[in-house]
Amino acid sequence: MWIVFRKELGQYFNSPLAYLIMAGFLFLTGLWFNSDLTFSVGTKAPDPALIPFNLSFFMVFLAPVLTMRLFAEETREGTLELLLTAPVRERDIVLGKFLSAWCFFSILLLITLIYQGILISISRPDLGHTIAAYLGIWLYGGATLGVGLLFSALTENQVLAAFLSTSVLAFLWLGDLAGAIVANIDLARVIREITLQGHFSDSFAYGLMRVEDVVYFAGVIAITLFLTMRVVESRRWR
Amino acid sequence: MIEVQQLVKHYHGFTALKGITFTAQPGEILGLLGPNGAGKTTTMRILTGFMPPSEGSARIAGFDILTDSIEARRRVGYMPERVPIYPDMTVEGYVRFWAKLRGVKQPHDGVKSVLERFNLYDRRRHLVRTLSKGMRQRLGLAQALVHNPDVVILDEPTIGIDPQQVIEVRESVRALAKTHTVLFSTHILSEAEQVCDRVVILNRGEVVAQGQPDELRRQLYPGDHLYVEILGGGVETGLKLLGAIRGVETVEPQGSGFNVLARGDVRSLISERVSQAGYKLLELRPVAMTLEDIFLEVVKRRTPPQT
Repeated sequence: MWIVFRKELGQYFNSPLAYLIMAGFLFLTGLWFNSDLTFSVGTKAPDPALIPFNLSFFMVFLAPVLTMRLFAEETREGTLELLLTAPVRERDIVLGKFLSAWCFFSILLLITLIYQGILISISRPDLGHTIAAYLGIWLYGGATLGVGLLFSALTENQVLAAFLSTSVLAFLWLGDLAGAIVANIDLARVIREITLQGHFSDSFAYGLMRVEDVVYFAGVIAITLFLTMRVVESRRWR
Repeated sequence: MIEVQQLVKHYHGFTALKGITFTAQPGEILGLLGPNGAGKTTTMRILTGFMPPSEGSARIAGFDILTDSIEARRRVGYMPERVPIYPDMTVEGYVRFWAKLRGVKQPHDGVKSVLERFNLYDRRRHLVRTLSKGMRQRLGLAQALVHNPDVVILDEPTIGIDPQQVIEVRESVRALAKTHTVLFSTHILSEAEQVCDRVVILNRGEVVAQGQPDELRRQLYPGDHLYVEILGGGVETGLKLLGAIRGVETVEPQGSGFNVLARGDVRSLISERVSQAGYKLLELRPVAMTLEDIFLEVVKRRTPPQT
């Protein structure tokens, strides 16, 4: 697993796309931070969960970009055939790839801690709030990467993989809004329970850590990884 | 080293393998020969553990490919028909990755030696995407051998490369004999003859013949093949004259002469009869049967006549 993990992480840093993503990510998060800071002067305390909260929407697009090549490229180039003839289990291949994407995302997230450092140096933010929001977005990111990985395994076309996972993630994100406008309260509650936002925007984003939200994100990760393993395994039977 | 027993593979409502059986001994280069669609790649994919058979069994170095798949895979080096690459990796990084994945703990020396062996050491820091097709084929061989496997499986390794590179790859494969068991697929019959110790001929998912090329020649054409060219007379005269010689079984016109299949040595008789009939013998030589002839003959014998 760690051999696949190291290779995939290396691939991120060998590709110019990864640096473009990193630059774009820092530019965007910097812009959010700066505008919130400017707006906060003399009016309110800066929001310590601003970046995690905005990222929860941004992940709908970022996760597919980070994961689209992981299996689709292997299938297209034929390396998956060679990988499946190596003495490694599908489980190790899938976990290695997933962890590399999650690790790359974690690095991106760690870089944004610069903004928290700036906040601490000029104000007294609620550190508990910050930690909960970052932990939440880290788990949220893992779940979205799991969805992206699954769609990458389903097709050999990277663009199609990215499109399909963006669609599903957008549905899971917008589902939260649908839950807010449905008249039937029970139905609205069910919708909120299955959406990504329903487990982030009212809890982690407000500095609240709930076991059910952690279980939800861990569950999404486990289910998507399990399905990805089955999809990869099915290559042997096709 | 490779034992294949009654291997059957069905997919998409089509039977790609219909119960093939063969073995390869340690140190042997076994050619898997057949036209496109004969089942060569399917056989190789099953042996490398990429896909399971529908029926039958196969063992690599004593390990069953289904029940001991990981152990069997550990002992195989595989080069698919199209060498799969990671374009953004360096040549050295690519080979090291496969070495580690196949369980080599300290891959440095093995990677260096295999890159030197296939003349890629000078390019070790180049990106794989910059290599020519011939170099990629050599890289494919390097990744298949870096963990020093007992069995090396090469799926049409000379396809799509220039003649000089074909010669290099064939020499590299020949050099593997004795230290590895090699299963080498090709649809180029002369290539199998040059490279392989023994061949298994596949056609439409069945083994139609197997053995050493010489052995197959003897089985299928248990006689002497001669080419005879006579000055004077016509085709009819030649057919009659040669057909009347004792020991001659068949005579067929071939170019400006005749192909003669005979039992025993009839060369002196041919020479005598031709001069007795008042003609001149321009050419009399034995004809070596190629694997191509063998292949066409076995396929012809096994194809039911059309009504």
